[in-house]
Amino acid sequence: MKIPRCEYIPAYNRLVKKIYNYIPSWTIQGKKTTKSLRWIGQHISSPQNRLILGATALMSQPFIDLYNKRVDEETRKVSAARTVAKIIAGTLTGFTVRYLCILAVDKMTKPLNTKRLKNRKLQTFFTPKKLPHSMLKYKQALGTIISLAVMTVTNILIDAPLTQYLTNKFVHNEKEYEKFKEFQKNLIKNNQIMGGKNA
Amino acid sequence: MLKALSSQFNRIKNVISLKYGKDPGKMLIHTGVAGWIMSSAAQIIGIVFNDKISKEQKLFMIPQEAADATVNIVSFLLVTQTFKHIASEAMRTGKWIPKNIKDFLKKRGQIKNLGTKNFNVLKRLEKAKVGRRTLSKYQNVCNGIDVVATTTGSVISCNLITPAVRNVYASHSQKEMIARMENGKQKNKKTDAAFPYYVSLSDFKNHSSSLKI
Repeated sequence: MKIPRCEYIPAYNRLVKKIYNYIPSWTIQGKKTTKSLRWIGQHISSPQNRLILGATALMSQPFIDLYNKRVDEETRKVSAARTVAKIIAGTLTGFTVRYLCILAVDKMTKPLNTKRLKNRKLQTFFTPKKLPHSMLKYKQALGTIISLAVMTVTNILIDAPLTQYLTNKFVHNEKEYEKFKEFQKNLIKNNQIMGGKNA
Repeated sequence: MLKALSSQFNRIKNVISLKYGKDPGKMLIHTGVAGWIMSSAAQIIGIVFNDKISKEQKLFMIPQEAADATVNIVSFLLVTQTFKHIASEAMRTGKWIPKNIKDFLKKRGQIKNLGTKNFNVLKRLEKAKVGRRTLSKYQNVCNGIDVVATTTGSVISCNLITPAVRNVYASHSQKEMIARMENGKQKNKKTDAAFPYYVSLSDFKNHSSSLKI
């Protein structure tokens, strides 16, 4: 798959140049900052990225749906419930599948010169002949690519039904809560009337 | 046959190790776009094979889903790529530079034009004959900046821009759909009063707009 390169669009280039000129110079100081950046560069990959995306999505997307004044209130609530369900289902399956695929690739990418391998063919199945610049990055990349193929199946078998199930649950709970609120309101109203009469 | 397959597989492994072994940000963008395309394709296939959706609704929903996917992919690609591109450029030219590397280059007299377009930190480091360990540490910092920029870009595009644009588009489409159905209802009333067709929320419930993987 060839991803179109935005650098070929002149307007995009001009925009990038402008932004680049505006960003301030930064000398990365402090051992902690450098160490954290190094750690992120080595260890954060697609599963963690998906988890971060999911967590931030939970903090933003439902509110965008709830404050969408272009649709009626019921649609707003259903759409927010669906968004939350979609985020939970997508993040759970996305993170798990990516993590497991990377783990599997890790187990099957032992260096070719390792002695005493139980099943050499399987344990070196993904080991490349040319040693990559970073073995860890190679494993993460290959695991993520394999997880994409796995997710075409899990998307239909797990993601979609789980989203539907959670949406129904949230909408049902919302309706129950509305009923409870109505009941409470009526109770307070009745109590006030009764209190007035008693006085 | 098996030999040919095995050599193809080896070639794929080498391409992955060469392309993504150095650049984790690139891998996140490419797999992210592939993920979006595949999830949108799954959604469209889901609509095509859903018996509960009428043919007329399918004719509307499939282009809507395709448009939704386009918005998602374009915004993801543009925003995330821009963030990654700018961060990589800033690291390459030394506009953003770790203090120890800056001090090292200063000592070796290689600091001239730091932060300008023609400056290349890696080339200068090679010229200054930097140690392997320092070079590897510097590359890890670059990767870290790349991952942070890519993740920030994808959070902004997926969680702020896309839902806002999608909501505008979806509400517009919903209005159009209701208007179309109202027209259909009017026609139904005239032609067949025994089977009137009413618009309800359930018409929109049995399909999902977009599923992120």
